[in-house]
Amino acid sequence: MPQASSILGLAIVIIVGYYGAKLIHKINFPAVTAYLLIGIIIGPNILNLVPLKIMDVSHLVSNFVLGIIAFSLGENFSIKAVRSAGKSVIWISVFEACCASLAVTLILILYYLCSNMSIYPAFILGAAAAATAPAATVMVIREYRAQGALTNMLLQVVAIDDAWCLILSALAITVANALHLGVFNPTVLLYLLLTIIGALTLGVICGFGLHYSSKFVRTREELLTVTLGFILLIVGLSVRLRLSPLLTALVSGLVITNISKNSSMFFEIVRNVDSILFLCFFVLVGTNLEVHIIPKIGFMGLLYVLFRVIGKFVGVKLGSLISGADEKIGKYLGWGLVPQAGVALGVALSARELFPKYGSLIFTTITATTVVYELVGPICAKFGLKKAGEI
Amino acid sequence: MNTLLSAGLILLLGFTGARLLKYIRLPNVTAFLLVGILIGPNILNFVTDEIFFASDFFSNLVLGVIAFSLGENFRLDALKTGMKQVMWISIVAAVATWILVSVAIIIYFVAIGFPIYPGLVLGGAAAATAPAATVLVVREYRSSGAFTELLLKVVAIDDAWCLIVAALAIAFANALRAEVFQTSIIFASMGEIFGALIVGAILGYIFSFLNRFVKTREEFLIYIFGFILLNVGLSLALKISVLLSSMTMGLVVINLARENYKFFEVLRSVDAPLYLIFFILAGAHLDFDILYKMGIVGILYVVFRTLGKVLGARIGAHISKAPKVVEHWLGLALVPQAGVALGIGLVAKATFPDYGDYIFTVIAATTVVFELAGPLLTKFSLIKAGEIASSE
Repeated sequence: MPQASSILGLAIVIIVGYYGAKLIHKINFPAVTAYLLIGIIIGPNILNLVPLKIMDVSHLVSNFVLGIIAFSLGENFSIKAVRSAGKSVIWISVFEACCASLAVTLILILYYLCSNMSIYPAFILGAAAAATAPAATVMVIREYRAQGALTNMLLQVVAIDDAWCLILSALAITVANALHLGVFNPTVLLYLLLTIIGALTLGVICGFGLHYSSKFVRTREELLTVTLGFILLIVGLSVRLRLSPLLTALVSGLVITNISKNSSMFFEIVRNVDSILFLCFFVLVGTNLEVHIIPKIGFMGLLYVLFRVIGKFVGVKLGSLISGADEKIGKYLGWGLVPQAGVALGVALSARELFPKYGSLIFTTITATTVVYELVGPICAKFGLKKAGEI
Repeated sequence: MNTLLSAGLILLLGFTGARLLKYIRLPNVTAFLLVGILIGPNILNFVTDEIFFASDFFSNLVLGVIAFSLGENFRLDALKTGMKQVMWISIVAAVATWILVSVAIIIYFVAIGFPIYPGLVLGGAAAATAPAATVLVVREYRSSGAFTELLLKVVAIDDAWCLIVAALAIAFANALRAEVFQTSIIFASMGEIFGALIVGAILGYIFSFLNRFVKTREEFLIYIFGFILLNVGLSLALKISVLLSSMTMGLVVINLARENYKFFEVLRSVDAPLYLIFFILAGAHLDFDILYKMGIVGILYVVFRTLGKVLGARIGAHISKAPKVVEHWLGLALVPQAGVALGIGLVAKATFPDYGDYIFTVIAATTVVFELAGPLLTKFSLIKAGEIASSE
């Protein structure tokens, strides 16, 4: 009975995830880590308890959940918040993205020169290093009910640095193409421009759409239906039009925050139901983590892991110095930027398509380092928040 | 069209449809079904294959959620008063429907020289009701009162009688056809019922025992869905009734600790989109071509099933000395028919190679009629009973 097995599989994911999080709480680890570990344990590599049918839909769950997270992040960008902290957010996020990218690119170029390889993969790996993973950070913040200036800043930084990563990766692919084939091909850049404009437009349209539709809503149940419907629509359309679902959903959330008088009701109603989706999302991410790839991480991967983090910390420091942010932020915000996930993997996937020769090397490196960062990242984020005294 | 887009459209169109049809006072359930028909494969074809494949999964989950919620109505302290009426009404309504539909169809079959056993099976299927539609109508109009409470208990419990009636019907039909009376079918249905009671009770007990660790609202949600899925999955694997086991779990949970009502509350605050998707998918699955194949038997089935429910509820209410409103109007609220009857149709298809397909077709065709008419009748009876505020 295939029906029974997929329903039981889902039940196992949820119940085991729940108790796993309870257990790991005792040793002061964040729930995200528990979900990922459980995913690895019940995943195909070890116990193989998750039916294929559920694995098949995991990309749907992950797009939906990322849409929810990005939409919720939009709540932090009210005009008021942007006025008071916007400058710091821009400086810090640009610097942390660029510094991480630069650090990884330079060290890898050095490494490739020493080992007589062509240097263009360094640019792509560098671009991937700019990305962070909002999902893990958001989960940690919520679980510990972190509050304060650093938390707010962190939420805004993780929301927009994925945009910088998109820009950097388009630039990197262009540069790499130029080095690799000896031709300068601006289509990637044009395409990038279209993607960003497209995501902004779609996000704004859907944000207004949600705002006006909500005028017909009478009950809380209807509000839930409409809000989830719009998030699915946003993500579905973005996927269809090859835009970034993260960016589109973020823009919609941002628009809603600023045009609706009681915008908090949208975010609150989603918060009521998303815990179970997050759990499923992270357990499924865990089942999809290719743990066996870690040994292949190699010297290159180690350099990537190390210099990405160094870049992030230096960038945060510089950005906060320039924008005159709180000292606390310059010191501890970097910890919250360690997680790396889907966005970086997206860069890796397009690299594999574009560069047949070194594409799979790039892909393996990013996948392996993602495994490391996924597991270490939430713990770092918690550490940083705690040090800053916001937990 | 990708699956996420399709899911988004389902939610938004469902909402829009329900809003629009409010103007002509149609219940949400009917609106969802109509939207489902509209976006289904016959007309707009907005529903992707992936969602279609998932719809079995979905409907089992939603039935589990509904039946679990129905369990809340069976608080033991509240039961003493109305239980006699619930039992009489549900049993008499189920049996009367079985007898009336069977007799009418058998007379027709004899007249046209057809074997008579399919009539028995159709009668057995006619006994089944559909709790989902009833619950949604009750909730949408915030219907409350003694009539509503009784109705919810009757739809919750009569699934058990329907299973028994259907099993007996299939066993008798088999006896007529092959001249052997297979007691195994009856034992199997008893197993289905008692198995469901046992599984539901055990899980309900574990649920209540372990829930001391559950603290925040978010955890409530995770916990409750985990258990409902576990129960549904186990029931499917053991081939026992999902509805009964889920209801038993809800019943045990609400009776083990007073403060457990919080779980039902949390569930109610999030389940609306689930019901919407459930009914839209049900609409998308409705097969209108089959209506043409309904024939005279289908018409007899529709007429006599309705009559059976109304008269049966009347007699049961009269015997148990229920209030007059109940006697007059409860039967109409029991008219919706859906998945349980189709399930019996599927069993018939597997059991009777010669007329099984025919039986299934009749049940499927009449289900289309009852799915669409049922919620309207339920709403009508609630209005007549005076338990819906007059502004609606």
